[in-house]
Order: sequence, then structure tokens, then C-alpha cells
Amino acid sequence: MDKSKKPIIVESLFPEIANLFGDRMNIHYLKECAAEAEFIDTSLTDPPVFLSREVSMIYMGPMTESQQALAIDALKPHKEKLVELIGRGCVFLLTGNAMEVFEAYIENEDGSRVEGLGIFPQHAKRDMLHRYNSLILGEYEGIRLVGFKAQFSHTYGDNSGQYFYKVIRGCGIHPSSMLEGLKENHFFGTYTVGPFLLLNPLFVKYLLSLLGIEKPVLAHEETIMASYRKRLAEFENEKLKY
Amino acid sequence: MKKNLRFLSALLISKTAMLTQKLFGMNASYFPGKLAIKLCPDFLGQIDKPDTIISVTGTNGKTTVCNMIIDALTANGFDVLNNRAGSNINAGIASALIGGSTVTGKAKKSIAVFEIDERSSKLIYPYIKPTYAVCTNLFRDSIHRNAHAEFIFRIISDSLPSESHLILNADDLISAGLAPENKRTYFSIAPMNTDLPESINIINDMRICPKCHHTLAYRYVRYHHIGNAYCPSCGFASPESDYIAMPDFEKHTLLIRHTAEEECYPLITNSIFNIYNQLTAIALLREFGLSVNQVQAAFSKLAIVESRYSCETVGSTQVITHMAKGQNPIACSCVFDYVRKEKGQKEIILMLDDVFDRVNSSEIMTWIYDADFEFLNEESIRRIIISGVRCEDYKLRLLMTGIPEERLICVPKEIDAPDSLSLFGTDKIFILHELYAAKEAMNVRDKTVALLKNKAERREG
Repeated sequence: MDKSKKPIIVESLFPEIANLFGDRMNIHYLKECAAEAEFIDTSLTDPPVFLSREVSMIYMGPMTESQQALAIDALKPHKEKLVELIGRGCVFLLTGNAMEVFEAYIENEDGSRVEGLGIFPQHAKRDMLHRYNSLILGEYEGIRLVGFKAQFSHTYGDNSGQYFYKVIRGCGIHPSSMLEGLKENHFFGTYTVGPFLLLNPLFVKYLLSLLGIEKPVLAHEETIMASYRKRLAEFENEKLKY
Repeated sequence: MKKNLRFLSALLISKTAMLTQKLFGMNASYFPGKLAIKLCPDFLGQIDKPDTIISVTGTNGKTTVCNMIIDALTANGFDVLNNRAGSNINAGIASALIGGSTVTGKAKKSIAVFEIDERSSKLIYPYIKPTYAVCTNLFRDSIHRNAHAEFIFRIISDSLPSESHLILNADDLISAGLAPENKRTYFSIAPMNTDLPESINIINDMRICPKCHHTLAYRYVRYHHIGNAYCPSCGFASPESDYIAMPDFEKHTLLIRHTAEEECYPLITNSIFNIYNQLTAIALLREFGLSVNQVQAAFSKLAIVESRYSCETVGSTQVITHMAKGQNPIACSCVFDYVRKEKGQKEIILMLDDVFDRVNSSEIMTWIYDADFEFLNEESIRRIIISGVRCEDYKLRLLMTGIPEERLICVPKEIDAPDSLSLFGTDKIFILHELYAAKEAMNVRDKTVALLKNKAERREG
């Protein structure tokens, strides 16, 4: 191992709750692609590793609505540090409703609010009577992205200067938006599940390069690319029902 | 509730619809009820109900438990209204009640047993007040409809009438907490030598204490979150059971400790899932008031119908079809666990594509990353033929379990899958199929059987 290189540390936040929809496999796949990286799980009752060590990436997956409040409570004391990390270019990947934890607040149907970290000014609204299920096709820096949405909430507020990717088919942060997710520096937040990385190998390569891996190699490259190409062709078919 | 003209009209029209459907040999277990509710939105409230209603809900096992309860009650001379012929949503319940009522809406039977879809609780319980409400368990299910276990828990818990006596699984810390103010009876299975110290499944939705959010410790785990847990931080723990079962697989008995007594029943299954189902039914029947002798007599004649399984033997090779409910990671994990524990050299044909999505859209595949495909990474599973449109997705999932690539073969068309079987030295061929792919699975099985017979004939020739 080249000792002059900065070690790659990937911290997964709260895997005991943030694990819905198979999204923990995002991290399992990254592990297979980045053998040189150190992967650390941080539970709700542990102090986050990003406080004591220089982490390269922070991941958090989807969770239940009540667990979002637990994640917010656990991270609130560290808001300033999180802002600093985003500013310094630390990679963040938040999938499903994990992104909402970083927003201003989450509004329930009765108008009550769960205050978020407030790192992003947008807010989320829940509608527990109407589940939103859809496919999504978009593009980020020339990379075609595919995925699924399965959620009770949407994000509102202007994200035109902070969106992750442009939507080609499907919807963005809310049903009338064509801009998906939130992005700031190397912070990527998206409702897209799939798991997102397993559906988007070209984005995995991009992510690995952000982590400092010079020649990223995908695990099971032939198979993951075959899966991606087939799904992309389906999603680009205008006859496909979203 | 007083019956109004709208209700009486809806009843008459829906009864006519039911009669017409039956005359044409159709299953009248859904449409008449749907029509009645459309014509009279509080139809379920106005129609007379049997004096005693038993409801059965839960993610897995509710149909099996319902069947056991109905059969046991019937064997003991009760005439039971039920919805087992059809739908378990509000329209199905309404159809059952229409069939079991007079033209003026009077109930013809005094007992009803209804299987209730978890999500339909909020449409049913405002009108149907079960005397006994049984919940088998709560797990993750379809991402589209059921989202996550907490969502389903909240729907059921908020809908259950306060007067219902709950029959709950103490080994399931999710459903055990339903409607905490209600009268409740718990059942559980005593520690077994097959228990695990911790969950080996990907999904365990009871990892943290619901009171203080610290990590739970498990005294034992059966599968996923089913087991006995406690919180080392605040003392929260699995509830004490009123019915504690001790299965004896050699004697084929199910000994149940209830109050200070021990009751012995015939054990009608060897699978842990169905032991829980049998125990659920026994706890309900005993609380309902049947004597030990009555329940014993009923279970001595009961058998679990394995309609989702078939086995055919050609020479020394068994060809087994087994339903693996797609989009349901728990059900699939259970089937994978069963396959890995089967003795002998095995080959598998996977045909798990959602047959509707592949025609109308593109299947949401997240569930395969919640299912324990890792169980298929066994030396004894020599080859896995992955068939269907989504074969590359399954192959990627299987590669992530560490299965060597040379053991995996992708075949886009299901019917071509048997051609890729090795057949040599194989003791068991498993055809694991999605719920709605049963017919295609039979075609694949027939082709597999034909190939095996051809091979045997060639050898003899």
C-alpha cells in the first residue's frame, strides 16, 4: 500500500435503522470495489467517527418515519461539523428519505413538524395515505441514471441551484419537479432507491474517483454493466409505463 | 346500527349479483361486496354481524392459521361464516357477510372467522369489531404496498377496536406491541436446540429498543427478528407468554404449558413457521373456549395442505417445485433456507420475475437485496439457472454472495432453463417460482422430468 496516499474511510451512519429497501447493499458493493478502503458502521448510540477521524465518505440509507427523528437527534449536536465536511468536499451519499434528515423540517399531514438538521433550506412533506411508486430516468454529468422511487414524502423548495440530477422521465424531488435530489460540493442526496449504486455502475466509478481511487475497477463488471444496459434500454423506451 | 333504504337496496342488488355470478360458475367472493360498498359506503356497518367474530391478520401465515381455526371449529360442530374462498380486503368481508345474511340483512350464523389484509384494517375495523383479533407476525413485505413493518404496525394498531381480545406472538416483538391497552394473550415457543444467538438474516427490523433506542440483545433467534429479546439498557423485554409450546419432533407432539397445566397436541408439521401457525390457532381456540380434548381431536385430523409445493421422482432424482413469493424477501429467504438444508447434490432453476411488471413496466428489484440469497452459497448447490427478463439482476445479487460465477447460468426464457441443467449426479432439482408463475413452473417441471427420463432411457439403451 502506498503510504503517501490518504487512507479512504467510509462511514455508514446508523445501519441498525437506516437499512430499508436493500440499500445497505450500496455499501457492500462499494466494499467489493474498494478493497483498500476502511468501512466503519456507526450506531445511534456511538459517537460518529467523522468527529475523530478524517472520513472520505458518509453514507446513510432509508429508514422509517419515526427513525428519521432518531437520526436527526443523533446528528443535531454535530451539525456544524457536517457543514464543515460538506464544505471541505467530503463525499456524502444519502438514499431514500435519509436526505430529508438534512433538510429544514419534515411536515406531517396534520401540519406538525419534525425539525431537521437545517443544512439544506428545503423541506419535506409526508402523505402516509398515498405511497408514491415510480421508475426514474435521469442524467448527471453525462451519466444516465436509473432507479426506483417508493416513498410517502416529497421535498419542496427551490433546488434549482442544488439538484443532484436532471430527470428525463419520472419526477424529481416532488411530483412537479424535474430536478432530483440535493447536491452541494460532493454531497449527493436522492430519493432514488434500487440500491442506487447497484443500478448505476457508471456513477460508482465516478464515486470511486472522488474517493481518490485513480483507476476504479467495478466488481462483477460484466454482469453489473449488462444489468445496467438492459434496464437503461427499457427505461429509455417511450412505451414503458413509469 | 339501523338499516336504511340505501343499505337494503345495496343488499338486494349485491345478493342478486352474487346469485348471478354463482349461476355462471364464477367466484362470487369479491364483486358483490365491492358493489355493495360502492352503493352504500357504510354497508359493513349496517349489515348484521355474527355474535362472535375472529379476525386473523399478519404478514405471513394468516391463510394457514385461518384454515386451521375454521377446520377445528367445524370439526367441533360450529357452523362458521368465513372468507377463505376469496378476498381478504373489505369487499371480501362484505361478500362473505352478504352470503351469510338473510334478504333483510340478518346474520344466519353466530360465528365468523375472517382473514384480514393488514392494509385493509382501517377500512374494516371501524365496522367489524372482532371478539378475538389474531396477529401471526409482522415483517417487511412488498415495498410498493406495505412500505415497512412500522407502517403496517401503525395501521393495524390504530384501527383495532379497543374491545377486541388480542392473540399475539410473544416471539415477535413488532406485533407483540399492537394496541397496548387491549386485553391480550401471548404465545411463544420455548428455547430449541436449533435456536441461534443472533439473527443471520439481512432483515431484522427489531434491532433497537422501542423505548430507549439502545441495541437489543437476543436470548435466542429463530429467524429474522423472531426470538426472545431484551434491552440491557432499560429492561424492556419480550412479554411473558400464556401459552408456551415445546415441540417434540420424534414423538410428533406439541406440548403446551398453559397456566399451571400442560396440554399435549399432535404436531402436524416439522417446519418452524407452521409450528408457530399451529400454536397461534391453538391459543385462539383455547381462549375461544374449546377444551383441550376438543382441540386435540380437531388437530388429530388436520393436515397442512402444501399447495405451493410438488415433488416428482425420476430414477434417483427428485424434481421439486416450490413457490417463492416474489417481492417478499422474508418468504424467499425461508425458501432459500429450506433448500440449503435439504440433503444431497442440488441444482436450482430460479424463475422469480414478477409476471405483471414484466409485461406492463419494469420490476422494482430492491427486494432482492433484502432477501438472503447468501443461503444459496452452498457447496451442495452445484448450479443455479437464473431464468427470466431480470436474470442479470439476480446474477449480480448471487455473485455478491460469493457464489463462483461458473455455477451461475442466465437464461432469458424460463422454458429454456432445463436445457442448462447438468443432471449428472444431481439428487434434487428445485424449481423456485413466483406466485403467479405456477403454470409456467409446471411446464418447466414437465420439461425437466422429460429430460431426466430421456437420459435414463439413453443409459438403458
